[in-house]
Amino acid sequence: MIDFSLTEEQEMIRDAARNFAQNELVDRARDADEEFNLPEDVTEGAWAMGFVAGAIPEANGGVGMDRSPTTNVLVLEELGAGCPSLASGAMSPSLFVNPLIDFGTDEQKAEYLPAFTGESFTAGTLAMQEPDFSFDPANIKTSATLSNGEYTLNGVKRLVPLAESSDHILVLAKTGEGIGLDTLDAFIVPRDASGLSISNERERTIGFQAVPHYTVTLDNVKVGASQRLGGEQGIDGARLVNSIRIGAAALAVGCARAATEFAIDYAKERHAFGKPIAQKQAIAFMIADMHTEVDAMRWMVWKAAALLEQNHPDATKATTLAQNYVQRKAMKVADDGIQVFGGHGFIRELPVEMWFRHMRTLTIIEGPVAA
Amino acid sequence: MKVLVPVKRVVDYNVKIRVKSDKTGVDLANVKMSMNPFDEISVEEAVRLKEAGVATEVIAVSVGPQQAQETIRTALAMGADRGILVKTDAEVEPLGVAKILKELVGAESPDLVIAGKQAIDDDSNQTGQMLAALLGWSQATFASELEIADGKAKVTREIDGGLQTIEVSMPAVVTADLRLNEPRYASLPNIMKAKKKPIDEKTVEELGVDIAPRLTVLEVTEPAAREAGVKVETVAELVDKLKNEAGVIG
Repeated sequence: MIDFSLTEEQEMIRDAARNFAQNELVDRARDADEEFNLPEDVTEGAWAMGFVAGAIPEANGGVGMDRSPTTNVLVLEELGAGCPSLASGAMSPSLFVNPLIDFGTDEQKAEYLPAFTGESFTAGTLAMQEPDFSFDPANIKTSATLSNGEYTLNGVKRLVPLAESSDHILVLAKTGEGIGLDTLDAFIVPRDASGLSISNERERTIGFQAVPHYTVTLDNVKVGASQRLGGEQGIDGARLVNSIRIGAAALAVGCARAATEFAIDYAKERHAFGKPIAQKQAIAFMIADMHTEVDAMRWMVWKAAALLEQNHPDATKATTLAQNYVQRKAMKVADDGIQVFGGHGFIRELPVEMWFRHMRTLTIIEGPVAA
Repeated sequence: MKVLVPVKRVVDYNVKIRVKSDKTGVDLANVKMSMNPFDEISVEEAVRLKEAGVATEVIAVSVGPQQAQETIRTALAMGADRGILVKTDAEVEPLGVAKILKELVGAESPDLVIAGKQAIDDDSNQTGQMLAALLGWSQATFASELEIADGKAKVTREIDGGLQTIEVSMPAVVTADLRLNEPRYASLPNIMKAKKKPIDEKTVEELGVDIAPRLTVLEVTEPAAREAGVKVETVAELVDKLKNEAGVIG
């Protein structure tokens, strides 16, 4: 039996996220995009909602909600429907917090998680992407070499969100050779570590202007063995990457949903040749396809999140399929969203061109959030 | 001081409602339901009174079907302490709700009831006033500001053309207007905590209240569609139309 219904708690969480996103993100999205600004009240507001820190265990000063990728994708879809860019900025700390909860040793949790249980937004981030052509998280170039009880990290990381305001950066690196997500390791590196430098300029991207992204260079950065996430056990690299990919996919589902709903409202009101364009088949079929794809993407994301939550062996496959599907279809929905609006679609007064740019970012960038 | 806050489960304010084809009412099948927005404001005000140390306990009550428990749960997630659901699948008119609330007030002895000024489904704007009358309590409707001190409630009311500030003795019924406050969002940790807060269930029969309807709904129809405007050629024509067709100038 398959039951797609949510628990009462999940429905309440989704409603809360929807209210927050519709009231606090939608109207701020355009200015944040034009001004390259992540407004403080947005990050503080999202922080107060407990979207990031809710799952920090009580033992580490948190409230100890279930660490649930399924609930997280519900939240991320809603935030993505509000504004995926602001959502990514506000949720960036999840890139540090969630892996710590999932893989951290008791000592690491005790040391790093309490900082995220306060009342104010606390930045945290993950350095994953690298500048190589066709970057692949299964074949990462950043290296961590063990000698005399400490690791030496070398490599260049790109598009690291909020790097300049995070006290610690979780750096993905490889301790051995080989290829595969199981070769991944993560290191908790202080931002002010010797040899770590952050680009002065923000990286310029097609979308996600609200989120400051930086290049982080690691030049013989030395960290103790205790900074290796998960201690001697290390991490489950596939699980980490899955949670990041499914988080991005959930944001994309939300953004695609917003584009679809916006297009439907417009198509019902916009008249051409004597009737609403929604009654023209060229538009009606397009909108029907958009709607269908949003549902299809959502089910794939939910399935992957559910398997991820169970730590099921098929989670990686489900995530890969969902990511692949979402990357193609979300882009198509965003594109059709512009097409429905015709000549109005590419004007910056309407959000559709902005969603298109965000979607382009979202379907390429690895790691705006972790589910 | 205990505060009782009635909360009603209504069609979500974002939903474009549709009248049933047989004109007997509004179509509620598969429609998203939420807490009446004015009741959210009431809950927020009560929770703020508690946070300010004025109130000691906030009780959210609802009259309605089993699902109205979700509405109470939302109030608990916003900070109310416990809930009471008076379960009924019947349509309860404002007088029926007021009578039920009177019984609950009798059982709980609150000093203050903060209700929404009206519910956005039937827009009756009667329950608070009827409750005050049944209890013989003071009432202050359409509150945009509320201050409690020395056994009195100072209430600023939104009235036609301005604001009126009155002082009423407690216990009292206050009904909340839109500008009383901006309700908070239920945060995730508070949603989780709300799960553990108790909700008592009662039935109308247990309370011994007669909720038999006094009104008969004859027909429910959509508002008339707005007619298209007209373009006028000259100012003279405009003035003529305003004078003779719209009748807005003499």
